[in-house]
Amino acid sequence: MAKKILCIDDEPEVVEYLRDILQDAGYATCEAYDGKQGFEVARREQPDLITLDLDMSKEWGTRFYRNLRRNPDLKEVPIVVVSALSGNKYAVKDAVATIDKPFTPQQILDVLKRILGE
Amino acid sequence: MAQDVEADKLLLADDEQSIRRVLGLSLQDRGYEVLTAEDGHSAYEAYRAHNPDIVLADIKMPGLDGVELLKRIKEESPDTEVIMITGHGDMELAIQSLKHEACDFVTKPIKEDVLDIALKRAEEKLSMRRQLRSYTESLEQMVREQSAKLVEAEKLAAAGQVLDRLSTALNGIADDLDSGDSPFFQEIPCLISLHDSSLRVVRANQLFKERFGDRLGEASWSIYGKGAAGDTDCPARRCFRTGQPEKSQEFATDARGEIVPLLVHTVPIQDTEGRVDMVMEVGVDLTRVQNLQQELFFTQRRYQQLFDEVPCYITVQDRDLRIQAMNRQFKQEFGDEPGEPCYSIYKHRSDICPECPVLKTFEDGESHQYETVVTAKSGEQQNVLIWTAPLRDSEGEVAQVMEMSTNITEIRQLQDHLTNLGMLLSSVSHNIKNLFTALDGAMYKVSSGLAKKDESRVEQGWHRVSHLVGRIKGMVVDILDYAKQRELERIPVPARNLHDRLVEMIEPRAVGYGIRLDHQPPEEGLELFADTEQVLNALHNLLDNAVEACLADPNKEGGSHVIRLYFRVESEEWALCVIEDNGVGMDRETREKMFTLFFSTKGNRGTGLGMFIAGQTVSRHGGAIEVESEPGQGSRITVWLPRVGGSVGQ
Repeated sequence: MAKKILCIDDEPEVVEYLRDILQDAGYATCEAYDGKQGFEVARREQPDLITLDLDMSKEWGTRFYRNLRRNPDLKEVPIVVVSALSGNKYAVKDAVATIDKPFTPQQILDVLKRILGE
Repeated sequence: MAQDVEADKLLLADDEQSIRRVLGLSLQDRGYEVLTAEDGHSAYEAYRAHNPDIVLADIKMPGLDGVELLKRIKEESPDTEVIMITGHGDMELAIQSLKHEACDFVTKPIKEDVLDIALKRAEEKLSMRRQLRSYTESLEQMVREQSAKLVEAEKLAAAGQVLDRLSTALNGIADDLDSGDSPFFQEIPCLISLHDSSLRVVRANQLFKERFGDRLGEASWSIYGKGAAGDTDCPARRCFRTGQPEKSQEFATDARGEIVPLLVHTVPIQDTEGRVDMVMEVGVDLTRVQNLQQELFFTQRRYQQLFDEVPCYITVQDRDLRIQAMNRQFKQEFGDEPGEPCYSIYKHRSDICPECPVLKTFEDGESHQYETVVTAKSGEQQNVLIWTAPLRDSEGEVAQVMEMSTNITEIRQLQDHLTNLGMLLSSVSHNIKNLFTALDGAMYKVSSGLAKKDESRVEQGWHRVSHLVGRIKGMVVDILDYAKQRELERIPVPARNLHDRLVEMIEPRAVGYGIRLDHQPPEEGLELFADTEQVLNALHNLLDNAVEACLADPNKEGGSHVIRLYFRVESEEWALCVIEDNGVGMDRETREKMFTLFFSTKGNRGTGLGMFIAGQTVSRHGGAIEVESEPGQGSRITVWLPRVGGSVGQ
């Protein structure tokens, strides 16, 4: 079964870009446009990995990350930070990878392959 | 035995009458003038009355005893010699009396030879003392006499020297005046002339000759131009008459016939016999003094002008920080009440400012700098940079401090502008990265669509690309416009052109989000007087905002959002461009702040610049933007733009 990835970003264009890349590469995707929605979707869909934008207008990505880590079912889900903020490395302590915007499809796919395997 | 020609007085005090009688006779035989007393008190009185040279006193007497008498006498006159007469067993008293400087003592019954020795001793002491006194007195007198002689000699020598030198100097003056190379008299900027007792000019310095011609041999009054009237009064004559230095103000006629006001000092020069031999006349040309005074006046005026006109606020303050002087700039901005303390006028404070640079300068005499905010009398706040400088009196003490303040409010505002620009760039860099990511996504859609031969995917992607390029372009223009306010290049523009280009720019995006664009072309021939690119950018920003307002509105079904764009003629001067949407609407705060810098409701989607620049652009065209909006009710934005031919358009 295809691995499922949750993409969280408040820019619909960026979410769509990630969806296109990931679906074309054979992953299943689900989406959210802010942290609160992201938490609901994560509980429902139980994704294998989450890509997380930090600077979102409704809720700071770091807050979502804290909530996620407090939830027993979700605390192990690996998080990849995808952000335009220069300090993004420090915002999420145990992120498995950080990717700066703008990024290429290959950058995303390389990271996912390394974390999730073939 | 008295050796002196004059008999010494001797006082014999004993309560035994027999002793007084026998001893008294014996002492008279020895040549003394003998006084007697029968007890201590009468002895003391006799001593006070007759002041004897020697006192012979019984050690035991009623009333005042011998030792007590001895003490009193020695206290009053240490030179009086006292010999004590003691009985058997009075040894202790005898010794005690020696301690009180008794000369000697003789024991009863009195033996002649013992008495002789004691008297001799007393005589010797007296004689020695007399000799010493006489010697001391003569020595003092000798010193007085000698030093008086010495001083007199010195005085004479000094006076002689002074006289010598003075006469040498005065005699030299005549030569000095005449010889061209004398440095002193030729360089003094005064008119110097020498006059002899027949009131003739005998010498004059170069300056005198230049101004009055060669007057040697002429009458002393000749330069004063009075000869014709028979008036021969002149400063030299007056000085000869009084023999004293004189000072007067005169009018002389110079070689060119011009009247010259002079201040004249005359000095009598005496010969060795003390007679006035010559008179030196020193004249100061008052026109020159007046010129100098005028020059001084102008210099002072120039400084005053500089003081008043420099683009700084200048005050001079005393140690209590009270303003003693102020320049015009200061008066204009802060009022003109001298004597008020600096902190009250500048800062409206009742006590001294901490870090006062003026006080520091009073303390260390150095110049200090300080930046602060002061309040002008208009209430305006000004950032000022302050320099202080010590003003020293003739002793070098800092008597006052000058404080110069420069208004740097504009510089600080520019700095704020630059800081804002820096903040803008960092916020914009974040937005641009997001936009580029979205652009990458759109291009990925196009290329993957092409690879899959999925035509609708390509079309969707391309639509996205063109929209994003438009947004990036708008953002870059915004930044450029903010960083550097471009000059307006106003030309007549058909409103129709603006309308068409706006539709072209916004329609694909609106339609892409399912928003209907309802637009009416303006009437034919309506022309605006505007900078096309800037007005287009402003209107595009407003339309873009309308699209965002629709997207942010969750309460309507997809496809029911409408944006209306139309132009209307308001008057001969004005055309209106109206943009309406039925989106989320705005509350009062948003309405009021929407055209201020860095105000954005779009989170990281907006730079906070677009609306600000739209507002700026319209107002630079002389126009205005009206906003009607309520939350949930949509918005109507009315932009006033100048028409060609109207007075605003010219």
